[in-house]
Amino acid sequence: MRRYVYPLLTALALIAAWWLAVRYTHTKIFPSPLDVVRGLGKLAEKKLLWAYIGDSLFRALTGYLIAVLLGVPTGIALGWWSALARATNPLIQMLRPISPLAWMPLAVIWFGVSNVAPIFLIFLASFFPVVLATMNGVRNVPPMYLQAGRNFGLTTPRLLTRVVLPAILPATLVGLRIAFGVAWLVLVAAEMIAVDSGLGYLIIDARNAGKRYDLVVGGMLLIGTIGLLLDWLIRRTEKLPMVKWGFRE
Amino acid sequence: MKKLITFTIVWLTVITVAHMTLNVNWAVLLNDRLPESKRKLNVAYIPVTCHLACPVTDYISAYSESGQIFVPRMFQGFPEIKEALMANKMQAAFMVAPMAVALKAQGVPVKIVYLGHRYGSAVVVQKKGPVHKFSDLRGKTVAIPSRFSDERLILFKAAKDNGVDMKDVHLVEMAPPDVAGALAAGAIDGFSMGEPFPSQTEMYGYGRVLFHARQYWPDYMSCVLVVREDIIDKRPDAVQVLVDGVARSGLWLEDGNRRRAHREHAADFVGRYYYRQDPRLLRWALLNPADRVMYEPLSPRKKDFELVVSLMRETGVLDHYIPFEDYVDTRFAEGSMGQTAWRYEAGATKAW
Repeated sequence: MRRYVYPLLTALALIAAWWLAVRYTHTKIFPSPLDVVRGLGKLAEKKLLWAYIGDSLFRALTGYLIAVLLGVPTGIALGWWSALARATNPLIQMLRPISPLAWMPLAVIWFGVSNVAPIFLIFLASFFPVVLATMNGVRNVPPMYLQAGRNFGLTTPRLLTRVVLPAILPATLVGLRIAFGVAWLVLVAAEMIAVDSGLGYLIIDARNAGKRYDLVVGGMLLIGTIGLLLDWLIRRTEKLPMVKWGFRE
Repeated sequence: MKKLITFTIVWLTVITVAHMTLNVNWAVLLNDRLPESKRKLNVAYIPVTCHLACPVTDYISAYSESGQIFVPRMFQGFPEIKEALMANKMQAAFMVAPMAVALKAQGVPVKIVYLGHRYGSAVVVQKKGPVHKFSDLRGKTVAIPSRFSDERLILFKAAKDNGVDMKDVHLVEMAPPDVAGALAAGAIDGFSMGEPFPSQTEMYGYGRVLFHARQYWPDYMSCVLVVREDIIDKRPDAVQVLVDGVARSGLWLEDGNRRRAHREHAADFVGRYYYRQDPRLLRWALLNPADRVMYEPLSPRKKDFELVVSLMRETGVLDHYIPFEDYVDTRFAEGSMGQTAWRYEAGATKAW
C-alpha cells in the first residue's frame, strides 16, 4: 500500500504546483493540467490517440527487438574472444557517443519517408547498451563455472549455451532495461523525421500547428507514463527464477 | 587535491574566455541590455531567397550613416521562429503568410506589415523520375515547408485545375534545407518550396521544375514580414524604419539596369556572410531568369490575402474567416511608399 501511496502523493503535489504556476504567472502559452486533459480527450475522441500510441509502441519495440537479437550474440562474441573485442573496441567507443539523432539526416536519405527510418534510429539507440552489458557480463562470469564446465567435457558451443548464457542473464537484463529506456527516449526525435503518426509526431505536429502546447505537454506526459509502465514490466522480469539470483532484493 | 582545483579553475577560465571571444554575439547581447525604447528590433529569417531583403538590408544599412537598423538572426525552420516570436525573443520575423494568418487566428498578437517577395516558389520533381505532369503526383510523396504555407496551397490550387484529388498525394512537412538532399536520395518524390532549393536541384542536375508557382497563381506571394502587436503599439517609428529599410532593399534588388549587378553582389554577400550557401546557387536563383524572384510590389494587398484565407479554409487549415484588417497593418507599407532604392554598389564604403 505504502509503495503506491507515496509516489501518488508526490505526483498530486507536482500537478498542484503546476496548476498554481500557470495561474500565477498568467502565461498565455504554457497549458494548465486541465488544458492538457482536454486536449488529449479531444484527440481520443477522434480515435487518433490509440492509433498514435500503437504506432509508437510498434516502432519502439521493433527497433528494440532487432537491437536485442543482434546485440546479445555480438556482446557474447566480444566478451568471449578478447582479440575480437580489442579489434572492434575503438570503433564501438567511437560510434557509441554519436547520438542517434545525428543519424537522422542519413536515415531519411537511406530509408526515405517510412517506418524504417525511425526504427533504424531506435535500433541504433538500443544496440550499444545491450552489446556492452552483455560483453561485460561474459567477462565477469566466474572462471570457476567455466573450469567446471570444461571438466565436464563441454565443448565451446555447449559451454556458451549451457553455462555462459544463463550466467550472464542478470547483467544482460540490466543492459536490456537501460537500452529500452534509451529507445523510448529517442522515440520522440526519431518520429520527427517525416512520419505522420506516433507520440513523437504528436508533439512535433502540435508545435507546427501554432499554439497547441497543450498537446505538446500531453504528448510528453503520455510518453513518460508509458515509459514508466514498460520499465515496470521489465523490472517484473527481474523476479523470474532464471535471473532472480543475480539481483539483490 | 590542490592540483585538481587549480586545473579545474584554469580549464573553466580558458573555456569561458574562448567562448566569449569566439562565440558570443556581442551585438545581440549588448542590444538586449539597452532600455526598451533604444533597443534594435530582433528580426528572424531562414536561409531562403524569400527572406533575402532581411540580410540585404542589414548589410547595406551597416554602411549607411544611421548604421544597422535591426539585429538579424537566422533560424533553420519556421516552428522555431514562431516560438521565438511568441516568447518575444524576436520582435519581427519573416515567415510564410498562412502561418502568420493562422497565428493571428489562434490569438497570437502579431500583424503582417510587408511582404518578402513575389514568385520564387516551385514544385520540383526528380529529373529522371516518372513525374511529367501534375496528375503523375498521385500516390507520390511531396514535401512542403509547413502545413501553413503558400507552397502547400499552390499544390491544392494546381490540383483543382488538373482534376486531381489531393488526398491521393502524400504531403510531408520538412524543413526547407533538408529537401534537396531528400529528393536527390529518392526519399521524397517531389517538393514544393521557395528558392533557392528548386535552383539547387536544377544546378546539381537531379531535379526538374514541374511548374513555377506563378503558373497557377499569377500574383503569388509566399513570405511576409510579421511584427508583434505590442511593438507596433509601443514603437511604431522603429517598425516604420524597418519596413522602409526592407522596401529600399526590394527596390535595390529591382533597380532598373543595375538589377543584375546588384543581384550578383547580393548573392555574394548573402551567401558568404549570412546564409552560408554557395553564392553560385543564390546567383542562379536570383538571375535564372531575372524575374524568377521579384522584390516588388511588396505592399500587402487585400486581394492577395483574401485568396490565401479562402484557400486556407478550403483546405482545412483555418476554421473561421478572419478579416484582412485583423492581421494586416498597412500603415507602414503606405508610409514607405515614397522610399527609393539604396544607393550602394559593390566595393563601396558608404551607402545612402
